[in-house]
Amino acid sequence: MISIINVSKTFKGKNDVSAVKNVSLEIKDKEIFGIVGYSGAGKSTLIRLVNQLEKADSGQILIDGVDICELKGEALRKQRQEIGMIFQHFNLLWSKTVLENIMFPLVLKGLPKKEREEEAIKMAKEVGLEDKLDVYPSTLSGGQKQRVAIARALVLNPKILLCDEATSALDPKTTEEILELLKKINKEYGLTILMISHQMETIQKICHKLAVMADGKIVEQGSVDDIFANPTDPLTKELIQTVDTGVDVNKLSIELKDKYPQGHLLRITFSDKTSEKPILYSIALKLNIPINIVSANLKMTQAGSLGVIYIHIEEKKDIGPFLAELELQGLKVEVV
Amino acid sequence: MLGLLTKLKEPLIETLLLTFVPLIISVILGFLFGTLVFISSDSGIIDTSNNWGLKILNKISNAIINIFRSVPYLIILIWLLPITKLLVGRILGWQAAIPSLVVSATPFYARMTVIAFSEVNKGTIEASKALGANNFEIIFKVLLPESKPALLSSIVVTAINLISYSAMAGAIGAGGLGYEAYQYGLIRENPPLMYMATLLIVLLVFIIQFVGDLIVRKVDKR
Repeated sequence: MISIINVSKTFKGKNDVSAVKNVSLEIKDKEIFGIVGYSGAGKSTLIRLVNQLEKADSGQILIDGVDICELKGEALRKQRQEIGMIFQHFNLLWSKTVLENIMFPLVLKGLPKKEREEEAIKMAKEVGLEDKLDVYPSTLSGGQKQRVAIARALVLNPKILLCDEATSALDPKTTEEILELLKKINKEYGLTILMISHQMETIQKICHKLAVMADGKIVEQGSVDDIFANPTDPLTKELIQTVDTGVDVNKLSIELKDKYPQGHLLRITFSDKTSEKPILYSIALKLNIPINIVSANLKMTQAGSLGVIYIHIEEKKDIGPFLAELELQGLKVEVV
Repeated sequence: MLGLLTKLKEPLIETLLLTFVPLIISVILGFLFGTLVFISSDSGIIDTSNNWGLKILNKISNAIINIFRSVPYLIILIWLLPITKLLVGRILGWQAAIPSLVVSATPFYARMTVIAFSEVNKGTIEASKALGANNFEIIFKVLLPESKPALLSSIVVTAINLISYSAMAGAIGAGGLGYEAYQYGLIRENPPLMYMATLLIVLLVFIIQFVGDLIVRKVDKR
C-alpha cells in the first residue's frame, strides 16, 4: 500500500536540520501502522512526506506503486484526495458549519450541491454528529471537533488516513472514543491508517504494527505484540515502560523487592500468543511450585492481551526448571 | 438650524462620495495586492524556500506598501496632480481627489489584508492542501472566508481614514464637510457652520463604526 524507500529530508537554513534520515517503511493494505517517538524525532515530517505537504530530498514514496514524490500540480492534488489527514489541532474551517466543513472536500472536487449534502450527512452520521450539522466548530468539544475532522478526511472515500498526533490534544476518555472510532473505520472501510504519536499507549491500543523513531531514524519496527514482548532498543524499552503498568516499572520492582526480600521475585511478560492459555497455572501444577501473584497488569490490544505479572516463589524452591519451562512456552522472564 | 443643514447637504454628499468611491476601489485593489504579498511570503501556500522570483516580488511589494503608507497624504495629493489631470481631466471637484485617495488607501488595505491572512491558522491552510485544494481555492475558499471578520473591520478602519483624508482633499477644492468647516466655518468666521459640519463628520464616523461592528459580530464564528 505505502512503501517508503530510503527517504531523507533536511530543512535548510542557518543550521540545517536533518529531520528524516534514510527511512524505509512498508505499510500494508488495511493495516494500522503507528510511528512513535519523542517530539523532534522527525515523525511529523515523515507523515507529511506521505502526502507531500513536505517534499523529500531523496528516496521514493510509493502509494499503490505510484511514486507520489514525482507528482506535481493537478496529479498531486488528485492523489491527495485519496489520502485523508487529521491533525492534533483539528485544523477545521472556523467560519463554516459542521456540515459545510464536511462538505468542503466535495466542494473542491466539484460535486453538485445535493450530492454534497447527502454524502456529508451520511459521513456525519458515521462519526455521530448528525445532530450538530448546523453549529459552528468553535462551540464543539475537542472530541467532537476531531470527529468533524475525521468525517471531512473520509468523505472522499480515501484509501489511506494519516493521523498526526490526532489524540494528543484530547483527554483520556475522549482519546479512547476517537481511537475506537478509528478502529471501527479501519474495519468497516478497510482503510489503511498511518498514525504518529508521542504516546506509546495510543499506538499500542489500536495499531497492528509500529515503528519507533528517534533522531530522524527508525530504531525498531515490527508487530505491536512482538515489540512489546521483546523490545531491543533502549528507547523502545523506555517507551513501553510508560505503558506497561502506568507506573514506573523500576520503581514497582524496587517496591516489590522491599516487600518480598526473601525468595524469588520474577517478572513475566505476556504477549498475545501466551496470554490466552493457562500456562502459569499448568507449569506451577506440573512442577509443584506454589506461586504467589503479587502484581499483575494486562492490557487488551489489537493482537490480544499483553502485560506483566510479578510472581513470588519461596526461597527453598529451585526455580531453574520453572524458568526453563516458562521460556519454553515463549514467555519472557526476568529475575528481579 | 435647518438653513445650516440645507447648506451642508451638498458637502455631505461630497464627503460620502469622497469616502465610498475610493473605499470600494481601494478595498478591491488592496485585497489583490495584499494577497500577492501574502502568498509570496513564507505563508505555507507556496514553497518559497528556493523561489527567488517570489522572494524578490515579496520584498518589492512590501517596500511599495511601506513607502506609500508613510508619505503624508497631502504630499501624495500634490504629487498626483499631473496624473489626476490626465486621468480625470480636472484638478478641482471631488472626482479630482479620487486618485490620490485610492493611492493612499490601497497600501493601507493591502497591509490589513496581509495581517488578516496571517491570523488564519497555518494548520487550516495545511489541511486544505492535504484535501487537494489548489492555490486559488486556498485563497478564495479558505483564507477569504476564514479572515472575513478581520477583512470587514479593516474596511471600517479604511473608511474612517478616508473621511479624514477627504477633509484634507478639501484643501485643493475637492469639497466635502471638512472643506466646508475649514473654508466657510473657520476662515470666514461662521462658528455654527464649523461646528455643525464637524458634528456631521463625527456622526458619520460613529455610524460607520457602529454598522461595521454589527456586521463583523454577525460574521465572526470563531
